[in-house]
Amino acid sequence: MYLIKKNDILQIAKALSTEYQVYGPVIEPGSGQTFFEKVEDVSEINLSAPIPAAPPKHIVFPQADRILSYRYAGGNAPVEMKPDFKETPKALFGLRSCDLTGLQCLDRFFLGQEFVDEVYRSLRKKMFIVTNTCVVPFKYCFCVCTDSGPAAEEGYDLNLTDIGDNFLIEAGSAKGKALCEKLQLAKAADKDLAEKNRLVDKSITLFESFSTESKAWVSRVMNRITTGFAKEEVWEYVGDQCFECGACSFVCPSCSCFNVVDTATGDCSCDRLRTWDSCSYEGYSRMAGGHNPRKPVEDRRNKRFFCKLSYSQSKKYLRPGCVGCGRCDWVCPGDIGMPNVVKYIRRETTSRDQL
Amino acid sequence: MNNGTKIVTIPETATIEDIKDEIRDVKTFYMSLDNKELDKNFKIKSGQFIMCTIFGAGEFAVSLPPSPENDRFHLTVRKVGSVTDALHELKAGDKVGIRGPFGNGFPFEEIKGKNIIYVAGGIGLIPLRSSIVHVLQHKKEFGRVLVLHGARTPDDLMYKENLKEWQSFPGFETYITVDVGTPGWTGEVGFVHTLFDKANLPVENTVAFVCGPPVMFNTVIGELLKRGLRDDCIISTLERHMKCGVGKCQHCAIGRTLVCTDGPVYTYRQIKTLGEQI
Ligand SMILES: Cc1cc2nc3c(=O)[nH]c(=O)nc-3n(C[C@H](O)[C@H](O)[C@H](O)COP(=O)(O)OP(=O)(O)OC[C@H]3O[C@@H](n4cnc5c(N)ncnc54)[C@H](O)[C@@H]3O)c2cc1C
Ligand code: SF4
Ligand code: SF4
Ligand code: FES
Repeated sequence: MYLIKKNDILQIAKALSTEYQVYGPVIEPGSGQTFFEKVEDVSEINLSAPIPAAPPKHIVFPQADRILSYRYAGGNAPVEMKPDFKETPKALFGLRSCDLTGLQCLDRFFLGQEFVDEVYRSLRKKMFIVTNTCVVPFKYCFCVCTDSGPAAEEGYDLNLTDIGDNFLIEAGSAKGKALCEKLQLAKAADKDLAEKNRLVDKSITLFESFSTESKAWVSRVMNRITTGFAKEEVWEYVGDQCFECGACSFVCPSCSCFNVVDTATGDCSCDRLRTWDSCSYEGYSRMAGGHNPRKPVEDRRNKRFFCKLSYSQSKKYLRPGCVGCGRCDWVCPGDIGMPNVVKYIRRETTSRDQL
Repeated sequence: MNNGTKIVTIPETATIEDIKDEIRDVKTFYMSLDNKELDKNFKIKSGQFIMCTIFGAGEFAVSLPPSPENDRFHLTVRKVGSVTDALHELKAGDKVGIRGPFGNGFPFEEIKGKNIIYVAGGIGLIPLRSSIVHVLQHKKEFGRVLVLHGARTPDDLMYKENLKEWQSFPGFETYITVDVGTPGWTGEVGFVHTLFDKANLPVENTVAFVCGPPVMFNTVIGELLKRGLRDDCIISTLERHMKCGVGKCQHCAIGRTLVCTDGPVYTYRQIKTLGEQI
C-alpha cells in the first residue's frame, strides 16, 4: 500500500504513458458528459468525473472492428489473407469497479470457454488496469445489489481511493507493485487503509439517498427467472415497451453479441468487420428463408434479461451478467432498464408464491 | 472427440474441384484444402458443420455430408440468399474459405448394436448423409438400418445416386416417397411418415435420426413417439442463424443453449426443454 498527494495522482498515468496507450475518464467539453477515451495528454483525465456515459468495453470489443482483410483475384489465384489483430499495450486509468467487473465478465466469456476468442485476446493482452474507488455513488448506480462495487476487490494492477489529501494506492499485481516502487511512492499506514474502509462503508450507506433512480435486488429475481416463474405478463409488458433501438446492449459493459460482415474495399478485396449487435433487433435470429423463431419482441427482450440473470447463463460469467452500472436504465426510451424490470418481476406475485 | 485440426478464426482456402447439380437450386461442391498438411489432418464427425467463406460475399454455416472415413470432401448447398447465390456462381478451380469443423456431431460408437432409422425430408438428407454412409461402412455392427426419404416431387429427391446404392445395399432398407408424383413415377406418393407402416418400423433398441422442414419434423416426431420411441432416442440437428460458429456471437442461442457449440445435434428430449420455438 502506498500514498500519493492528490495533486500528483496523474504522475502515475504519466509514467504509464511511456509504455502504454493511456485511456481514462474525460469530460467532453460540448456535452459535459464523461467518456472513457484514449488520451494524448494525461492531463485530460479527470478522476472526479462521473461514471462514463458508455463503458470502456469498446477498448477490448470495438463497435466496428476489422478482423481480417483479404484480396481474391478469382479462379486459381491464391487468396491473400491478412488477419488484423491489434496488440497495442493499453493502460486503463481510473476505471470504476462496475466497469472492471464488466471487463471480467467479457474475459470469462471470450477467453474462458471452449473456444478462445483470438480477436478479443489480442486487444485485451498487455493491459494495465488502474481502478478508482467510488467514495460517492451516482444517481443510477446499484453495484451494491450486484456485488460489483463500490470498490474493486480483485483484477486490478492498482486501485486508487481518494482519502482526503492523498490517494491510497493498493497494488493488486507484481506489475502494479513494481510501478509504485519505481516511482518511489510513500508507504501507507494501517490508518490509511482504515480510512479507505470507512469511506467505502459510508459510500454504501449513501446509495439509499444518492442512487435514487436505481435499485435492483438482482439476487431475489435470479431464481424466478431461472425457473421460469417470472410471469408471462411481465415479459409481454417489457416487450410492449421496447423500441428495439439496441441502446441497452450498446451501453452495457457485459453485452457482447456481435455480427460479422464482409464489406468490399475494392473490386477484389474485402474487410471482414465485426460489429456490435443487439438481441433486441428483429433480424437478429432470422434465418435464410425468412423463418424467424424469435419473432415476437417480448421473446427477444426476455432473452436479454434471461442472459443477464438466469443461473444457467451466469455460468459463463461466474456471476450475474449485470454489474449494476445503471446505464441501460439511463438510456432506455421505453423505461425498461434492468432495475425496472427487476422491480416488475418482484412486484408481480408469482403463482408459486401464492402456494 | 475430434482430434484433427480445427480452423477457428481465420479461414483456410480450399479449391473447388468438381460441381454436381443435385436438384433445382441445390449443388454439391467437391473441394480440398490448399494446405495439403492441413487437408490430411482435417478430421470431421458426422453431424458437424463448417463456416464457409465465399470471398467477396461473406460466410455461412453448412453441414458436412461426407462420411468421416474414406469419402471425398464436399458440401451440398441450396441457393437461398446473397452468400449461397455467390457460391452457386463459382466454378471448378475457384477458391472458398473454410473454418471448422464445429459442433458436437451425431453419436456413432454409442449407437452400435442398435436399429437405426433415418427420416429425411427434402434437403434434410444433407446433414444425415454423413451418418448414413458411415453406418453403411460399418453395417455389420448395427441392427436393422432404414433410410426413409420424402421429397416434394421426384425431381426433388436428394442424392439420387446414393439412394440407388442404398436401395441395393445388403441390410439397408431404403424407402422413398414424394408428395406429388409426376408422369412416369411408379413409386410411393404421400408424406414421409406414411411409409412407417410399410417399413414395419422397429421400436425396441432403436434410434431415429430426423431432419427436415419444421412441419415435417413435428409430424414425424409425433408419429415416432406414438409408436413408442423414447424421446431421447430421437435425434435431430437444429438450424440457426450463425455468425461465428464458436459460441461467441450469440446469434444461434435458443433458450439456454448455443446451437453452434452445444449442438447442432440434440435429442428430442433436449429440444423439448430448450424453452423456445425451434
Ligand atoms: C448448422 C447448420 C448447417 C447448415 N447446413 C446447410 C447445408 O448443408 N446446406 C445448405 O444449403 N444450407 C445449410 N444451412 C443453411 C445455410 O447456412 C443458410 O441457408 C445460409 O446461411 C444462407 O445464407 P445466405 O447469405 O445465402 O442467405 P441470406 O442472404 O442471409 O438470406 C437468405 C434468405 O433469408 C431471408 N432474408 C435475409 N435477409 C432478409 C431481410 N432483411 N428481410 C427479410 N428476409 C430476409 C430471405 O428470404 C433470403 O432469401 C445450414 C445452417 C446451419 C446453421
Ligand atoms: S434501450 Fe430500451 S427500448 Fe432500446 S432496445 Fe433496449 S430495452 Fe428496448
Ligand atoms: S444490464 Fe444495465 S445496469 Fe446491468 S450492467 Fe448492463 S447496462 Fe449496466
Ligand atoms: S454461431 Fe456465434 S454463438 Fe453460435
